[in-house]
Amino acid sequence: MKKRFLSLMMACTMVVSLAACGGNSTTASTTAAPTTAAKATEAATTAANKDTQAAAEDITLKWAIWDQDTTPYWVALKDSYEATHDNVTIELVDLGSTDYMTVLATQLSGSTSAFDVVTVKDVPGYATLVQKNTIESLDEYIKKDNIDLSLYGGATDQITVNGSLYELPFRNDFWVLFYNKDLFDAKGLAYPTNDMTFAEYDALARQVASTDFGSQVYGAHYHTWRSAVQLFGVLDGKNNILSGNYDFFKPYYEMVLNQEADGICRKYTDLKTESLHYSAAFAGGDVAMMNMGSWYISTLISKLQSGEYAAADCGNWGMAKYPHAEGVEPGSTLGTITGIAITTGTQYKDAAWDFVSFVSGTEGAKVMAETGNFPAIMTDEAMEIISGLEGFPADEQSKEALKVSNLYLEVPYHESVSEVNSILDTYHAAIMSGEKTIDEGIAAMNEEIGKILK
Amino acid sequence: MSKAEGRKKMSKETRRTLVAYSFIAPNFIGFAVFTLIPVVFAFILAFTQWDGSNPIQWVGLGNFIKLFQDTFFLSALKNTIIYCIGTVPLTMIASLALAIVLNQKVRCRGLFRTISFFPYVASLVAVTAVWKMLFSKTGPVNAILYYVFHVPNNELPQWFVGGLVMVSYILFSVWKYMGYYMVIYLAGLQGISGEMYEAASLDGANTWQKFRSITWPQLRPTTFFVVVMLTINCFKVFDIATLLAGGDNNTLTPSSTVLVHYIYQQAFVNWEFGYSSAVAMVLFVLVLIVTIIQFRGEARFSNS
Repeated sequence: MKKRFLSLMMACTMVVSLAACGGNSTTASTTAAPTTAAKATEAATTAANKDTQAAAEDITLKWAIWDQDTTPYWVALKDSYEATHDNVTIELVDLGSTDYMTVLATQLSGSTSAFDVVTVKDVPGYATLVQKNTIESLDEYIKKDNIDLSLYGGATDQITVNGSLYELPFRNDFWVLFYNKDLFDAKGLAYPTNDMTFAEYDALARQVASTDFGSQVYGAHYHTWRSAVQLFGVLDGKNNILSGNYDFFKPYYEMVLNQEADGICRKYTDLKTESLHYSAAFAGGDVAMMNMGSWYISTLISKLQSGEYAAADCGNWGMAKYPHAEGVEPGSTLGTITGIAITTGTQYKDAAWDFVSFVSGTEGAKVMAETGNFPAIMTDEAMEIISGLEGFPADEQSKEALKVSNLYLEVPYHESVSEVNSILDTYHAAIMSGEKTIDEGIAAMNEEIGKILK
Repeated sequence: MSKAEGRKKMSKETRRTLVAYSFIAPNFIGFAVFTLIPVVFAFILAFTQWDGSNPIQWVGLGNFIKLFQDTFFLSALKNTIIYCIGTVPLTMIASLALAIVLNQKVRCRGLFRTISFFPYVASLVAVTAVWKMLFSKTGPVNAILYYVFHVPNNELPQWFVGGLVMVSYILFSVWKYMGYYMVIYLAGLQGISGEMYEAASLDGANTWQKFRSITWPQLRPTTFFVVVMLTINCFKVFDIATLLAGGDNNTLTPSSTVLVHYIYQQAFVNWEFGYSSAVAMVLFVLVLIVTIIQFRGEARFSNS
């Protein structure tokens, strides 16, 4: 009898301990002895007090980021903020860059207090977070602190959700044309200029290319992202990625696929099976021109300095503005903004806002520029810092290339932006791999996105 | 007194049941929390629209109506079925052939068994990287086609796009999983009594006749198990598609997508848990029907 009772007790203990493992802290405290429960209440009260007098107490803000080891500005921003705020500690939580937005949205769906401050990598991810009510509207804070949104050069207008802003941009990348001067010199050709139409660009790519076996030179290089091809089409300011009609992609797909067919650029299917990264492609020294985001500047500079990229292959590089459609002023380009937001579940809203306004403001902009990245607030000072970096091309044209007249986001905000984005990705892959013709692919985009936009 | 006795008797019985329950509880709680409740929840979700945070909206059969107008879903369905039709018989034949060969007393039998089993143990990510290299545009496979079979340069196949992508999936899957099913068949072969073969030899049966009349019927329960497991695993294919054709942003085109990838895409990229559950229901029904047919077929065979 005694034995049986003992075994029952043991089994019960096992069950209870298992349940406690899965449960949250509230169940744990109810099963605990009354003294501990009392202590827990005490702790809760102090926590509440802490909230009201947030500024004076020690605060730790959890900040979701990616790739801490290879991205220099996270720690730089953290250090410079902590230097002036003794009571605040910023805890960096690295979620990795590959599926950052998916991981972040999943974690915040579980608990909105998983982080205090989050970085928002792209607009589709921003739309997801806003729709899931996981990030806080910043309108009141912006009003209270009189933040001047015009400093962001119109970027904030493209991420406004029903009149409200849920993030502030702190990094703003835009696309330029990188080129390898040595390859142009070898053929005795003039470098790409800051004022090229697409026809001139195509002709130049064909001139500089060389299809001789063994000494192959690619005139252009298009990474596998849809932005690298499709979005040439939105630069004329008339067409829009959310219009539901994508016929305007056609001339650009034709240009790129014709270049592929003639051996002027690497084939999309090869890039995809070989998983060739754009940085390795340009660093190989056989790519004359490559359209890519300005984030590549700091990569190129640092990898050339560390010796990972051979100076003989790509050390002599320059930049030009994006080519433009006939009759449009040069300097229009694509932009990608990286934003920072406050979670709805954070305990320290005011402290989090203070950090957000620091990172997205002029002080943060300076830190960003010092690490070779483009801040969302593009001041002349920040521009000087970047173009003065060691390793930045010395010619005037490359400096001039950084001046942007119109910036179109790769995708502006829309409630269905992530679905639109994945459909565009899918049919971009289908067209580029030859699975569908250009017309079929565009028709499929029109049809499926038409259904979503209604 | 009698009342107390009755209570004691009751409690003794209850206690016995309780002991039994408490022993299965750890396992059952785990199963319920991580499998049973989510499965039931997914059934309900299939009739709703939900993004994981906002309130759940009941949409009735809306998701299913939308499904059968969704061309991307239909290609995913078609591809998954083609994949299964290709993979199940080929893997079965390959593993059976391997098992029969490696059941003979051949030299270095252990070594060859290990080699055949190796792909199954090797990390999927690592071996897909090797396959992508082998089958790339300029890889060894195309080099053989070019130099040995004189296929012109511009007609060399692209193994991971368009029409050939399914062939690549099937070949890869057969190679990767045949070792595992070979082991199951080997166990089945060991169970066949040698006396039957002896008797057949005395009657003058040749190898083919022995296979047809002894090996194949004796292996039927094993074959049944292999086919059911293979079918279920085939319908669940996800990793092979993602790794072979997904590329760095995990985008599959209409000719390379499969059902489970579409489920993932809808749930964790577009945050449409309801729609995604509806796709999962279709997959569930598909596997259920195929398995029922197989069980029926097996029952008929063993009766006859």
